[in-house]
Amino acid sequence: MAISVKVIRRPEAARSSYLRAALKGMSLTFRHMVNPRKVTRSYPEEPTELHPRWRGTHRMEVHADGRPKCVACGLCPTVCPANCIRLVGGEDDQGNRYPIVYEIDEFRCIFCGMCQEVCPVEAIHVGQHFENAEYTRERFVYDLDRLMEQEHPVTALWDPSDPASE
Amino acid sequence: MSTVTLTIDGREVTVPEGTSLLHAAEEIGVEVPHYCYHPALSAPAQCRLCLVDVEGAPKPMPSCVTQAQDGQVVRTDEGLAREMRKGVLEFYLVNHPLDCPICDQSGECKLQDYVHSEGRAHGRGVEPKRVFGRDDFGGDVLFYGDRCVMCTRCVRFMEEMAQDPVLTVVERGDRAVIDTFFEQGLKDSPWSGNIVDICPVGALVSKDFLHKARAWDLDHTPSVCPNCSQGCNVDLHTRDNVVHRLKPRENPEVNGHWMCDYGRGHYEWMNRSDRIEEPFVRGDGGWSAPGWHGALASLRERFEDRRGPVHAVASAHASNEDLGAFRELVERLGGQGVVYRSRRAADEAPLPGSPVLARRRDLAPNTRGAELLGMRRVGSDDARGGLDEVAASTGTLIVLGDELTDQPEDFGSRAELFVYLGTHPAPAARSAHFVLPVTTFAEQEGTFTNVQTRVQRFEPALRGAGNAQPAWQVLGALTASLAGEPAPASAAESFSRLAARVPEYEGLDYDQLGAQGVPANRPAAIAGER
Repeated sequence: MAISVKVIRRPEAARSSYLRAALKGMSLTFRHMVNPRKVTRSYPEEPTELHPRWRGTHRMEVHADGRPKCVACGLCPTVCPANCIRLVGGEDDQGNRYPIVYEIDEFRCIFCGMCQEVCPVEAIHVGQHFENAEYTRERFVYDLDRLMEQEHPVTALWDPSDPASE
Repeated sequence: MSTVTLTIDGREVTVPEGTSLLHAAEEIGVEVPHYCYHPALSAPAQCRLCLVDVEGAPKPMPSCVTQAQDGQVVRTDEGLAREMRKGVLEFYLVNHPLDCPICDQSGECKLQDYVHSEGRAHGRGVEPKRVFGRDDFGGDVLFYGDRCVMCTRCVRFMEEMAQDPVLTVVERGDRAVIDTFFEQGLKDSPWSGNIVDICPVGALVSKDFLHKARAWDLDHTPSVCPNCSQGCNVDLHTRDNVVHRLKPRENPEVNGHWMCDYGRGHYEWMNRSDRIEEPFVRGDGGWSAPGWHGALASLRERFEDRRGPVHAVASAHASNEDLGAFRELVERLGGQGVVYRSRRAADEAPLPGSPVLARRRDLAPNTRGAELLGMRRVGSDDARGGLDEVAASTGTLIVLGDELTDQPEDFGSRAELFVYLGTHPAPAARSAHFVLPVTTFAEQEGTFTNVQTRVQRFEPALRGAGNAQPAWQVLGALTASLAGEPAPASAAESFSRLAARVPEYEGLDYDQLGAQGVPANRPAAIAGER
């Protein structure tokens, strides 16, 4: 078999020069410099807007007199798929059932929101919150006092005007 | 006995004449919902929940008191019967609060179950519910009047079984409520805990168990009550390796459906955390923890070099297997006899309505087992004293299970070899050369022989503390290594060795004891029959 030679022509300068592509790219850059539609946010000076169903760290609702709304029914530790809720029930001096110990390990939590969904007294909620940095791991086990102190808005698990998503 | 054949829900069933429709339905696996009916109590047919549709009858019949007849056609689960139950359940919920989240019965509540399976999804009631609040009935019993469904099981239990009618229904209609007479309450009744068990809803709850755990979190382990020699069949309810309560398990031969408050209330010792967790050996340089292999090997050497007589103290809280292995070891070492101490109450407390059940005098589960093994009871009725001869021993001294609480700290210090096998640290075992940790009955399987000489099995409910092992295993391994035989590998094997050596247990098979136990061969003479 004879050897044949294929000759490839060198592309013309106008096409092979990178100048064209560079100018195209720079034109985009300069266009954005003057374009008012900005995508980048200056977090944390500008806070992020979270969606109504964003599920972040927990919050415990309290009664007007400062008691937790939780009645220690034990449904949230039962339903919790990550097994991150520790609850010890008891009775306070007015004969109400209340949680003596209520701890959520936010590291184990998978933020499924089932605890909020199952709560019969709307006490425990997942919240629209994500800024949770701490210096120690232990601080991620939120006890009852800490959960009651949280002030962030709670998650809407469904649209109140259309609870069955119809 | 003549039988009748009838059709229930389209299926034919043949039952003895006189059987109620409720039991006939049970035969084919149909549970007719009911509150007031309890198999051990009279049937007033007042809850109106077990109404069934009987073909030809002018109106629905309460199945708990209607006798099955030949050719009857009964429907329990469709049409009229179902509609009626739905209606009756709705009536119950007119006043029953929906406080399941804070109710201790939640999860084992019959009203919750029935309404969930066939009640209305939403209530139609608009009127406010009547409120009674709660009442302390005395003893361990707390009464939540709002939750009561007026089945009167508790009233009938106190009347018919305890024969101490201290409960009654006062008022009528929707104001009807269970109450005690004046301030007397239930505090003098030794059987009041049973009304908590038979209450189908959360109206009667245990103060001791209040808010402690949810019913669905508890593991149930079949066991035998360790608090007297009656050996009531119980379930140990545990969560996270802690016993939370004892509930009776039905056994018509021993305890029926019941158990006493004394047995029910004495479970905290099973949760004690001050345990011996490692085998300890005392040498010239003080205590060391050489592990089981090291400890048993050096103990075996000491046994082989022993001099002087052998004294042995056992405990009636140990299982048959433990005691059998203990006696085998003592005999192998040339010991003459084993003594045990056990607390005895001043008298028995029988349940008047039951032919067999009583809180017995012996407050240990296996006194009869110890007697059958030829062990001798010493000491007073509060399990003190009686060990002078043993304490003065200059030979070998072995103690199994007895905490020696009344003994001085130099107990056994004259013994050449003192071996202590126990569950909890005993100050009087300070002079011991070997301290070996054993498990409690709640942490091992085995059998007890009750006062009726019935051999009953119990199962492990808790994890053993540290490296504690069942006593039969430790003692069996020691005996086996002295004799050069294989050690028993299981409680069943240990029991079969016992059955081969003790005539009363002859022919009994561990695996065939079942959930309800088997009577041992009646002994010719039991030392100190009572």
